[in-house]
Amino acid sequence: MTTTSPTRTDSAARAHDASKIYGTGEAAVRALDDITVDFARTRYTAIMGPSGSGKSTLLHCLAGLDRVTSGRVFLGDVEISAASEKQLTLVRRDSIGFIFQSYNLIPTLNAAENMTLPMALAGRKPDPAWLDHVIDIVGLRDRLTHRPNELSGGQQQRVAVGRALLSKPDVIFADEPTGNLDSKAGAEILTFMRQAVDTLGQTIVMVTHDANAAAYADRVVFLADGRIVDELAAPNVDSVLDTMKRLGA
Amino acid sequence: MGRVTLQTLLGKKLRLVLTSLAVVLGVAFMAGTFVLTDTLGSVFDNVFASATKGVDAVVRAREPFKSAGQNADVTRPPVPSSLVDFVRKARGVANAQGTLLRYALVEGRNGQSIQNQAPAFGTAWYPAGNRINQSLDLVSSWQGAQSRQPAGPHDVALDIKTAGDGGYKIGDQVQISFASTPPTRFRLTGVFRFGGSDAGLAGATLAAFTPTTAEQVLANPGQPPTWDQVDVRAASGLSETQVRDRLNAALSQAGLRSSYESITGTQLAAEQSSNIKGNLSFFNTFLLIFALVALFVGAFIIYNTFSITVAQRTQELGLLRALGASGRQVVGSVALEALVVGVLSSVLGLGLGILLVIPLRGLLSAFGISLPSGPLQIELRTIVVSLLVGTLITLVSALAPARRAARVSPIAAIRDQAIAPSSGRRRYVWGLIVTVVGIAIMSVGLFGRGSSNAAATVGLAAALVFIGVAMLSPLVARPVARVLSWPAHRLHSVTGMLAEQNAIRNPRRTASTAAALMIGLALVSLIAIFGASAKASFASAIDNQTRADFILSPKRFLPFSPGAAEGVKQGFAAISKQPATVVQYRTGTIEIAGTGHVVLGASSNFEAVSKAPVRGFNRAAFAQGGMLIWKDVAGTRQCGSDGKALCEPGATLPVRFPEEGTVPIAVAGVVTDRNALPVGTSYTLSLTNWEQRFPQTLDSYVVIIKPSDVSTSRAQHVVDSVAARFGGIKAENKAQFKNSQLAQFNQILGLMYVLLLFAVIIALVGIVNTLALSIYERTREIGLLRAVGMTRVQLRRTVRGEAVIVAVFGSLLGLVIGVGFGAAIVRALRNNGIGLSIPVGQLVAFVILAAGAGLLAGWLPARRAARLDVLQAVSTE
Repeated sequence: MTTTSPTRTDSAARAHDASKIYGTGEAAVRALDDITVDFARTRYTAIMGPSGSGKSTLLHCLAGLDRVTSGRVFLGDVEISAASEKQLTLVRRDSIGFIFQSYNLIPTLNAAENMTLPMALAGRKPDPAWLDHVIDIVGLRDRLTHRPNELSGGQQQRVAVGRALLSKPDVIFADEPTGNLDSKAGAEILTFMRQAVDTLGQTIVMVTHDANAAAYADRVVFLADGRIVDELAAPNVDSVLDTMKRLGA
Repeated sequence: MGRVTLQTLLGKKLRLVLTSLAVVLGVAFMAGTFVLTDTLGSVFDNVFASATKGVDAVVRAREPFKSAGQNADVTRPPVPSSLVDFVRKARGVANAQGTLLRYALVEGRNGQSIQNQAPAFGTAWYPAGNRINQSLDLVSSWQGAQSRQPAGPHDVALDIKTAGDGGYKIGDQVQISFASTPPTRFRLTGVFRFGGSDAGLAGATLAAFTPTTAEQVLANPGQPPTWDQVDVRAASGLSETQVRDRLNAALSQAGLRSSYESITGTQLAAEQSSNIKGNLSFFNTFLLIFALVALFVGAFIIYNTFSITVAQRTQELGLLRALGASGRQVVGSVALEALVVGVLSSVLGLGLGILLVIPLRGLLSAFGISLPSGPLQIELRTIVVSLLVGTLITLVSALAPARRAARVSPIAAIRDQAIAPSSGRRRYVWGLIVTVVGIAIMSVGLFGRGSSNAAATVGLAAALVFIGVAMLSPLVARPVARVLSWPAHRLHSVTGMLAEQNAIRNPRRTASTAAALMIGLALVSLIAIFGASAKASFASAIDNQTRADFILSPKRFLPFSPGAAEGVKQGFAAISKQPATVVQYRTGTIEIAGTGHVVLGASSNFEAVSKAPVRGFNRAAFAQGGMLIWKDVAGTRQCGSDGKALCEPGATLPVRFPEEGTVPIAVAGVVTDRNALPVGTSYTLSLTNWEQRFPQTLDSYVVIIKPSDVSTSRAQHVVDSVAARFGGIKAENKAQFKNSQLAQFNQILGLMYVLLLFAVIIALVGIVNTLALSIYERTREIGLLRAVGMTRVQLRRTVRGEAVIVAVFGSLLGLVIGVGFGAAIVRALRNNGIGLSIPVGQLVAFVILAAGAGLLAGWLPARRAARLDVLQAVSTE
């Protein structure tokens, strides 16, 4: 375990001795095995690992979409492993931004409505200046009234990034955000996310299996068999690929 | 292919249950109706078989002509006492006795007459040992006293139920009123059972007198004592048919065959039973119409469910095609699914229908239609028809979706896209054509010249209009949903907006889900409009065209003794020198030019209480037994001695009466406005000479204007005491009469609403079904909404909002159609004096109720949606 714990206030999300077991008895699968990990604020962290390594499970547990079997999970100072379903919903709505691999948008709402959806659900109006700014960041000013089926895959993901940024969440969790995109559109999304960390002070945790994507992060955490097996600070494509090769992924 | 289908079907249990429910309820309604009417039929079979027990043959008057619209033989005249002696002397006859069954109302100890929904009868009791008819069994002892048969002129025996209901003991004095003779007190000597059962004659009351007394007290007004028929016991060794044939031969020899006939006891029982079943068949049809409506609504649900599931299974069907299944095999697999659903639901529906009979009977009795009960009759026809109709409706409804399934191309398995919808334009063109054809047929049915099947034509036309509008309705789904969700937009409610968007994302699905509710609401508002119009017209007829201080009317639709009217006259004569105005109304059956008609009888002074305009009224001619004709009859050529002259005031009309043969009757005027009492009949005959012409001499209504020198309260006392004495009738002032008549009408309307509830419930099941399927389809999206922070409460609200939009959309469509139908039908009935009246408040209430029902229908799908596991939902492919 090479993770060092920064002071608590610097931690945007962390898991402590977290385990996730699916099934019981013989069929039990240990998706997370006593993981302790910390994600610093205003940092861009990538989680990598082979299929079945538990990287998506970790993300889901950190984001309050799934619950750990044992151990504790915190989002900021809130222990989400002890939160009720209703509290989790509000945490997701108010403190977390999501970017999924595909199917990120509600088909009946246009781009602008999709972006403001979490705020609308909370009954809040977005700050107009901030909304304007986010629209510029993701470059969708001329697509605001379009429905998802009228947007390209890359444009759809940009709406999802905009949605995640708009509510200024504590953490944005991204699950293979470029998995369904061609390399150009993918690079575009990754650049937006990098900028969000650098210029807006956003915190991002991203699951990916793509070394190119991971190279955009400040830090890469490698998982295998539900455990953290390595990590890289200031990664580049080569160092990521090397580490992957070394881990036999 | 078959196994794949069945496994898919079992995999979606909720869908199966909801889809089946739509058919199950309709089939249950139909099966329940059949079982109920068959059960009633068998009860009456037993009653009439018992009623002729011991009777080998009867001799009776021939029926001069068939009555119009009724199955009972109301025109058959009685037979004279002398016929009994003639029959007794005929060869092959061991014994002959005159019998009769006529109005005799028994008063209970508390002074209230005993009358249920069934008639009150008196009959003759022949001494035991000598009796031919064995239907009545004397009970040997009752309440500790010995029970004897009536032996003297002041004796009576009662059926055991009536005696019990009246609170009597053996030896008590019992007051009984009759059609023509004054109410009389008799001593209760005994009680008897009918057909060996305590339940009696399906609710009728029966009082038995000695034959001599019966002949006198039960005599028809203004006529010598008569019998209804002569019961015959055959000489030993002769069969029923042999004695009947000998009697008919004897009648021929004596030249009486043209007036009298003989039939066997078995024939008589069958004939009476079939008469009453003919009347039951109206009732059967009435209920079946509502069952068919429920099935029709169910068909929409089936169509919709199969359309949705075929669309959802596009990829799966494409895969099957890619693996080599032919289009026909795909159709076959959908049809097989429909067949399984249809057979399963029909079987369940049949079972439920049998269980439904008892609550259905309870429901009818709650609405004042009480029916005798007996062992449930489940006939083969019920089973066959229920299974066949339920299965066929399911199959036919699934046909279009199945054909669409066959158009799925193998490439659909690879591409993630729904089946390209068939060109919208074609659908709308067809929808327009079907709607227009429906409206055209309806116009012919409503306004066309005298087609005998007008009701069936209008029903078919209505079904076409429903289908046509359902096809067209996706066109308006979007704007209507937008208007309905206007409050949500105003309030910036994101759940409201999402609900609206969900409702219109597939306008066809929304429209056909709404269509099911549309049918229910259209019929409900049609009934509301028709009811409001008829009530308003009736109220105005009473208010504006009737003069009355009091009106005597039956409590239970059964006509009452003309003695009541006589009693009122005498009551006023005792306290005033001026006479009261008393106008009696009754109905009879006449035949004109070979066709039977119902005729209204009115006292010749009816003018005093009716302001109804009569053109060319000849007061004297009417008083001498003349007749008023409705304006549509005026101008026809059936008058004069040859029956071909123009019918106008002053002409004579050859009318055949049950008892007087054909008589030329003077046309004494033309009724030009039916928005007045008397309503409904085309012929109004003076009561003069009525008793010589008709066997039926009871009154339906008596309208009274008190003498001016009698105070209202004293007058009230007079009419109240008469009503109390005659029982079974009530005395009301004009306002009370109007209100109680309207209340009776409301009861019938209420029954129709309740029966339509079936269709509405099925439509709501349809909303539940569609929403559940849509939610299944949107699992991923719901997961996403939840992931980005939609609370369960918000999600439930969104789903319920969609349900409310669909429900209100359907009810608004229904309202528009219902108002259209209602206006058309009322217009078609304008000759009957009904003017259009639209109960706006009621219609608004219907829409609000429909919205509430939608909320309820959305409850289950909303709960299911809210329960979805977020992570699983977002990871759904």
